[in-house]
Amino acid sequence: MTTDNNILISVQNLQKSFGDIEVLKGINTNIKKGEVVVIIGPSGSGKSTFLRTLNLLEMPTGGEIYFEGINITAPDTNINLHRQKMGMVFQQFNLFPHMTILKNMTIAPMKLLGKTKVQAEEYAYELLKKVGLEDRANAYPSQLSGGQKQRVAIVRALAMNPDVMLFDEPTSALDPEMVGEVLSVMKELAASGMTMAVVTHEMGFAREVADRVLFIDEGVIMEEGTPKEVFENPKSPRLQDFLSKVL
Amino acid sequence: MQYITNYFASLAHDFETVFIAKDRYLQIVQGLLNTVKITAGALIIGVVIGVLVAAVRSSYDKNKETLKMRGGFGYIALSILNGICKVYLTVIRGTPVVVQLMIAYFVIFVSVKDGVPIGIFAFGINSGAYVAEIFRGGIMAIDNGQFEAGRSLGFNYIQTMWYIVIPQMFKAVLPTLCNEFIALLKETSVAGYVGVMDLTKAGNSIAGVTYNYFLPLLTVAAIYLVVVMVLTALVARLERRLRRSDH
Repeated sequence: MTTDNNILISVQNLQKSFGDIEVLKGINTNIKKGEVVVIIGPSGSGKSTFLRTLNLLEMPTGGEIYFEGINITAPDTNINLHRQKMGMVFQQFNLFPHMTILKNMTIAPMKLLGKTKVQAEEYAYELLKKVGLEDRANAYPSQLSGGQKQRVAIVRALAMNPDVMLFDEPTSALDPEMVGEVLSVMKELAASGMTMAVVTHEMGFAREVADRVLFIDEGVIMEEGTPKEVFENPKSPRLQDFLSKVL
Repeated sequence: MQYITNYFASLAHDFETVFIAKDRYLQIVQGLLNTVKITAGALIIGVVIGVLVAAVRSSYDKNKETLKMRGGFGYIALSILNGICKVYLTVIRGTPVVVQLMIAYFVIFVSVKDGVPIGIFAFGINSGAYVAEIFRGGIMAIDNGQFEAGRSLGFNYIQTMWYIVIPQMFKAVLPTLCNEFIALLKETSVAGYVGVMDLTKAGNSIAGVTYNYFLPLLTVAAIYLVVVMVLTALVARLERRLRRSDH
């Protein structure tokens, strides 16, 4: 029983080509408020491209994306305003190396949301406390481990109070022993009711946290369903083949 | 022993003739002043032009795909600006600075008799081309992830450049930029071609009058050297300050 009000992001016939190479060949899906969608697929399948089109880091070559009911792919849309509500976490962290952790987290809320320094820092400390890094507030990114950097990247995005969080392979660049600390932050975030779209190779995370799993291959959603349906009863041979390799 | 005493006596006499008699040292002071004026003025013009040209060129390189896709006025305007910048870079970097200076003095500003402002203009235009390419190289060398992280927080293109890319770029290009400033200072020694009494011209003209080349030219060389060393020391200090975030 889905009413339109519950849909946060609606993707309609989304296409993306790089030159002659067609990466996305018509993706249709809706992401509901509070839903955790995990996107899996072989490398080169277009799953990262799909995630990056959601906040227009990649411009789609066809189709539409509606975010909170507004067509953000229309040429006259001010995407900067919508991106403030779409947090993004990258594989390579992309913290700003010339700023302290605190500055990393406060610059956008101060410049874009008009928060005062005191307000922004207070909220930043609150978020850092949640991920156990409040004592690192004045460190520079180069002084942190990979897992710490990614936790900071997550709270930097959260500092903007986004309505959805996009994760682009957040644990793929981490040493194995640091994957857990990042995943547990993401689990807590999911439990708090945040809407999330996560591209990952962590099948355990998908199984445990996802409300819905999308299997993208050859530029389309080849199969989707609850983790139980996707992992225990895969229908398409491509998904069966993929799961046999990763599980 | 006698020889050495004689030598110093003759040196003292020459010094008297070259610098003290008829207050000739004032020519050196005036020359140094003009050299510093031209260098400082050209530096400011060069950096302003450099920033603008680098902004156009790197914006074009970064955004042409997206703008092309969206079409319209923005793409055409940026293409034209980019074309103008390319012509500017080619012409300025492809012709000798002395020729540019003489064209400015004898062809463009025929009615202006004071060579100093023309020197500032010509050297500024010349330096701008080199500074532009230094800045552009610096911007292109910053990981695109930094840019994407800025945009994904909701910063627009200019804010992302200003808060995130340019501070990092500036730190990276500082040694190269310092090099360019040193080169500029020394290049201004051709200002004598358009009748400016700069440091080199002052030394040369004293030498011509006193028939002593040794003292005036070595003095001029020593002054250039000291100025460059002071400049280098200042930049090294700035570099150390900017490096605080690297640990």
